[in-house]
Amino acid sequence: MIVCEVTVTNRAGLHTRPASMIVRTASKFKSDFWIQKDGYEINGKSIIGVMTLAAEQGAKLTLVFEGEDEKEACEAMKELFEKGFGEVT
Amino acid sequence: MERPEDAAGPRLLLAGDEDAVMASSQPGEDAGEIVLEGIAVSPGIAIGPAYLYTRITFEVEERRLSDEEVAEEIERFERAVARSERDLNKIILITREKLGEDSADIFEAQLLMLRDEALYEAVVDYIRREKRNAEYAVRHVMEKHRRLMETSGSEYLRERAHDLLDVEERIIRHLRRGKLLSSIDPHSIVVAENLTAADVVLFSRRGVLGCALDYGGPTSHVSIMARALGVPAVVSLHSVTEHVSTGDRLILDGIRGRVIINPTEETLAAYEVSRERYRRLLQEEKQLVPLPAETLDGHRVRLLANLELNEELGQLSEYGAEGVGLVRTEMLFLIRGSIEISEDTQYEVYRKIVQAMRPGVTTFRVFDLGGDKLLPMAHREHNPFLGWRGIRVLLDRPELLIPQLRAILRAGTHGPVRILLPMVTNLDELRAVRAQLKESVRDLIEEGYENISELPLGVMVEVPSVALQAEHFAREADFFSIGTNDLTQYVLAVDRGNDLVADLYQELHPAMLMLIRQTVTAAHNHGISVSLCGELAANPHAVPILLGLGIDELSASPVYLPGIKRVIRVMKKSEGEMLARQALEAETAREIRENLERWLEEHSCGVTYLVEGTPRR
Repeated sequence: MIVCEVTVTNRAGLHTRPASMIVRTASKFKSDFWIQKDGYEINGKSIIGVMTLAAEQGAKLTLVFEGEDEKEACEAMKELFEKGFGEVT
Repeated sequence: MERPEDAAGPRLLLAGDEDAVMASSQPGEDAGEIVLEGIAVSPGIAIGPAYLYTRITFEVEERRLSDEEVAEEIERFERAVARSERDLNKIILITREKLGEDSADIFEAQLLMLRDEALYEAVVDYIRREKRNAEYAVRHVMEKHRRLMETSGSEYLRERAHDLLDVEERIIRHLRRGKLLSSIDPHSIVVAENLTAADVVLFSRRGVLGCALDYGGPTSHVSIMARALGVPAVVSLHSVTEHVSTGDRLILDGIRGRVIINPTEETLAAYEVSRERYRRLLQEEKQLVPLPAETLDGHRVRLLANLELNEELGQLSEYGAEGVGLVRTEMLFLIRGSIEISEDTQYEVYRKIVQAMRPGVTTFRVFDLGGDKLLPMAHREHNPFLGWRGIRVLLDRPELLIPQLRAILRAGTHGPVRILLPMVTNLDELRAVRAQLKESVRDLIEEGYENISELPLGVMVEVPSVALQAEHFAREADFFSIGTNDLTQYVLAVDRGNDLVADLYQELHPAMLMLIRQTVTAAHNHGISVSLCGELAANPHAVPILLGLGIDELSASPVYLPGIKRVIRVMKKSEGEMLARQALEAETAREIRENLERWLEEHSCGVTYLVEGTPRR
């Protein structure tokens, strides 16, 4: 299991498009993926879940990966957050 | 004078029958009979009970399943999700093209919601555990999530609840579709506000007799599909769904464009005769297919087809098309979901058409976008018909024009091809495209393509300025094609879709004929040909005058070609010229129509009733 911290950097927060990107990226990997925020955990492969996080700019999230390709999955996800989903930061 | 009826087969209609039909087809109410006028978009006569196909509100019933039904219900759910996925993929393509990537994201998200574990698994689980029908399970599971989002503190999430509702309704609609279809009597006439092309395909497979719609026009997807599948259809009836209930007796006249609700016994009897005659007429017209479109005095006219769908390719030879007078390229791509499609892909589509049609010519009209067809809601023009459309769009968007010209030029190496420009207003536009065309030819040759040649470049005559300046245009264009639908609207300042003024939309108005004559004269002075590709060309009624005016080619949907040929083969060019002379001197469209009717009656073309365009009042 890998656990890492990320911050939402894009101005608009985790709205529909970033949420889609997260789910699509996560689905490429076999590992399970959860996102925790304020003691609340959701399945990172569920768009409904990611959207209900309602994470805004500056929100700190804990990402949890578990599975055979957890390392690669974690790297890919971190990159997505670091680049602010290709949006204005 | 010799009666030419033998040339066209036996005379089909007697004056008495005509009167019987006419007497009872007054628009309005008469002994419980209601007649509604619309636009005929797919010919034929259907008589049968109505089936009202409406958007039902999504009241979901709860049904308990037996143990054996569970597996089947889960499969039903899976099929509905798969269909919804296909829907969404199509919507995404169209949205991306019209509104850009960002707007398509909403639907991308909906696509993910469809397969969301939290939803998908939960629904399957619910069906299995609670043994309830799929509709009920979908509503139950999705409602829970929706509520959660609706009551959240985030405005953003509250809005997203709409997306979820959208997904939910889409799945339920698909779950019901199978049931709905199986409840339709195959011998009924479908009455709806509007239908998708896919609906028409389903209905046609089910064997329904015809479609009557509130909305739609001759080039709507639904109309094109109905024509391609041979389902008689009348559209733009405005209020047919208000007047009809399921089971009402209906007559659908896909020739004159009217629907008669609860017809009287006389009307019904007359239409039963007409239906039979129309059937015989079609059989006879089949025999005309191999014969040339030639008048009694030896004048040849080229009969070309308008092509909207690849599905119609098979109809070209079936109905005796000598070439394609108009490929509405934008339709091919709107159906695929995107017009920003690569040169290579376009080339493949065009090549297939050229190869199917050769040695006959294929005329590609470059994308006619805008107007009613393209612009997204967010950027709706106040007056699209006077706005950004046709060549105006393409000259502003070279990234659309250049790949298309190149693709057509490459397709031109496989057979005779012409290029047609829509919505041209002034000579500069023609010159700009000509320059681009020359450049594309040079580029292609430099890139090593073989046999590339500069193809004939023609102009649509649909803006009055082009007809008025026809002499100048004829000097620089390689051919003309008159688009009567738009030309009529622009010349008479009438929106045919507007009930208040629709009566004023007269394709045979003397002013129209004057412009057609002026166009033809200029063209022939400069040795170029004139084709006519509006709905007027599909109306056998108008054929004698059009020939008389000197039109060289008529282009219409393939199904109409044999009917046009029938008239051509029973007339003399000289008679047409006389009719045209009289028409040009006429003061009103009515005078022209009456004169034509008299002539057609004298000549027993067998089309007098069948092509009657406007009701006698």
